[in-house]
Amino acid sequence: MNTRIHTTSVLQNAGLRLWGRAGYSNLLMKFANFILRNTLRNKRRTVLTILSISMSLFLISTLRTLLDSLENPTTTPESAKRVVIRHATGLANLLPIAYREQIARIPGVDAITSSQWFGGIYKDPANFFAQFAVDADRFFDVYGDFHTETPEQEATFIKDRTGALAGVGLAKRFGWHVGDRITLKGAIFPVDPELTIDGLLDGGGSDSNFYFHMDYFSELFRVNGNAFNQAGTFVLKAKNADDLPAISENVDAMYENSTAPTKTESEAAFILGFVSMLGNVRLLMVSISTVVLFTVILVAANTMAMSIRERTGEIAILKTLGFAPGLILYIMVAESMAIALAGGLLGSLGSRYLYRSLDLGPWSGGFVQQLDVRWNTVLLSVGIALAVAMFSTLIPAYNASRLSIAVAIRRRGE
Amino acid sequence: MIPIRYNLRSVVVRRVGTLMTVLGVGLTVAVFVSILAMVHGLQNTFTDTGEPLNLIVIRQGSQSETNSFFNRDIKGIIETMPGVESVAGEIVVVINRTRVTGDTSNVMVRGVSAKSSMELRPGIRIAEGRMFKPGLRELVVSRAVSLRFKNANIGDTMKIGRSTWNVVGILDASKSAHDSEIWGNYDEVAEEFERPVYSSLLVRVNGAPDVAAVKDRIAGDRRVKLDVFSEKEYFATQTSSALPIQVLGYLVAIIMAIGSCFAVMNTMYAATAYRTREIATLRVLGYRRFSILVSFVFESVLLALCGGIAGCLMALPVNGITTGTTNFTSFSEVVFQFRITPGLMIEGILFAVIMGGIGGFLPGIRAAFTPIVRALRTEV
Repeated sequence: MNTRIHTTSVLQNAGLRLWGRAGYSNLLMKFANFILRNTLRNKRRTVLTILSISMSLFLISTLRTLLDSLENPTTTPESAKRVVIRHATGLANLLPIAYREQIARIPGVDAITSSQWFGGIYKDPANFFAQFAVDADRFFDVYGDFHTETPEQEATFIKDRTGALAGVGLAKRFGWHVGDRITLKGAIFPVDPELTIDGLLDGGGSDSNFYFHMDYFSELFRVNGNAFNQAGTFVLKAKNADDLPAISENVDAMYENSTAPTKTESEAAFILGFVSMLGNVRLLMVSISTVVLFTVILVAANTMAMSIRERTGEIAILKTLGFAPGLILYIMVAESMAIALAGGLLGSLGSRYLYRSLDLGPWSGGFVQQLDVRWNTVLLSVGIALAVAMFSTLIPAYNASRLSIAVAIRRRGE
Repeated sequence: MIPIRYNLRSVVVRRVGTLMTVLGVGLTVAVFVSILAMVHGLQNTFTDTGEPLNLIVIRQGSQSETNSFFNRDIKGIIETMPGVESVAGEIVVVINRTRVTGDTSNVMVRGVSAKSSMELRPGIRIAEGRMFKPGLRELVVSRAVSLRFKNANIGDTMKIGRSTWNVVGILDASKSAHDSEIWGNYDEVAEEFERPVYSSLLVRVNGAPDVAAVKDRIAGDRRVKLDVFSEKEYFATQTSSALPIQVLGYLVAIIMAIGSCFAVMNTMYAATAYRTREIATLRVLGYRRFSILVSFVFESVLLALCGGIAGCLMALPVNGITTGTTNFTSFSEVVFQFRITPGLMIEGILFAVIMGGIGGFLPGIRAAFTPIVRALRTEV
């Protein structure tokens, strides 16, 4: 980067010549007021530019957070101890319930529950949410990171055969309260469980899920007169996370040559399997973000070009007063960065606080409940804004700073 | 009215600024058109599936073939109904396979009757190799699946269930939803998964006038608990799997459009500022305020229009790109192509024109209400 080296040396020269040993920060302090006033000389333009940049960074923050929440499912020390066991062929194939007790005997296994995706409809197919039939008495042994509002709710649920637990987010979405009765209309299974909400769940990413008794479900769904005796998945909790690879191998080896071979994977890998089913989301998000980034470049460059062109006469005067080209460049780049900083902060913080108060469940078909724009994303967005502003201003600012006084004075207002 | 030439020349004078604004609008339109091309491609894959004389029958309340199962004797009941020409009984099973990229997804395996299932779907043909022979654990694979998934070409073997199956042919389903499927013989697929049931019946009706009657007959038959759809209807309901992309697309497009509107406004305000004296001169010459407003809005729309056209051109390369996502109704991968249609491009250009109109309005108002005397005295 020749220009940069050049710029730096020019800047240092300028600084030294005018203010002795003043550093960059000192320089900024000295000129902060001047820079600020420059951004305010055309308030409308500054505001429009800030708004335009903020829209772009709002979008970049959103896309990054969306990608992040898809690619990094919530993990807790508890969830790291869990694996999900399913049929090797795919989730639409079921495993015999007898596997549960066989697997439970493998050394290192702490607890295991069957877990059957129910996929029923609550009033309208658009009200999609995750519903599972589980072994109520073992459920909290496996999901130690889930908790009901009160210990009594947990006890009631375990005792109540037609009881159910709803995530707090879900309860909020549908206005459910403890004690409410709801009916799920079966789609995958031709049965309609009638359930009582015994408690509200929170913690470990359970706030948008729904659980009810496997016992009740298998009674309801009889195949050829017999109670349903299969399950889509088993969720197992190991005593120690380090034992998981060995346990997983053990399980899969046990059933390798059976009529229903298994595939065992960590809970995180299991969830990521669903994300990969969505297709190449990462490529989509990254492509959109890249294009958005280019629009920021254009907006920042255009604004600074306009503002510099207007000010050519003034630049000539500054030069006449003894401002070195490097210092003029510095002031203009700093001005552009100040505008970008405002835009970046507005966009990324805006996204952070807007999504806090929005439930995205109904719009995303239940895929994303809430977006949590993290501080590192805010920081990244602001960083992007600053970098883009700096580079997009360098050329027009450099050209202006190199104009000879005579030319510049004559060019004013063109 | 102020001559259009005035606007054209003004736009050319500010080359760099014009170009940047046009490009900004262009990028917004490019993103808009590209995402909509994806949404349309996915939706069209479903809406292009199905023959008008075919009905599809699934278990009541099951929503999709994947969830559906019913006894095989139901086929006999339907076959003997008046108005029914022929019936194909099929089973679908969703299996997890590895994509060529290394990640996994679900693929639909359809157990079909080699003869009637093909006859009822004239759009589908064997493009390469041959049709499977019953009894030999052979499969035909759609081209999209053979390209996107590992070990899915002619000559490859696939382990499905407990057996090893040979791929003997490539299926061309002319970009319909069946282009994401693997086909095998019904009896063998049902046996492999120990499901002696049908997932769906494909029913061919004698003629168009009978369609509604046959539908009513099946839906009203008390011996069977079935949902019946025309094949077209059935696949059209699955377009809902495009909803998340559509929501994302509109969200991105609207936010980018607001940003672009601000950018256009900025450019147009600058244009009015540089031309304060010109505007005053025009007013002195007798042009009405309204003409000035129209002229500036027109100029802004003109910029946006160029941006819109540029955006459509920038988006063109995505046309035809093949990608896939999961149809959550059937819980299996659906492969589709980005489709840019002339209609979509017009939509994109209209989108740009709206941005231009909104972005140019306020600056136009400002220009129209410039006080003449003061404006004539401005130096700039």
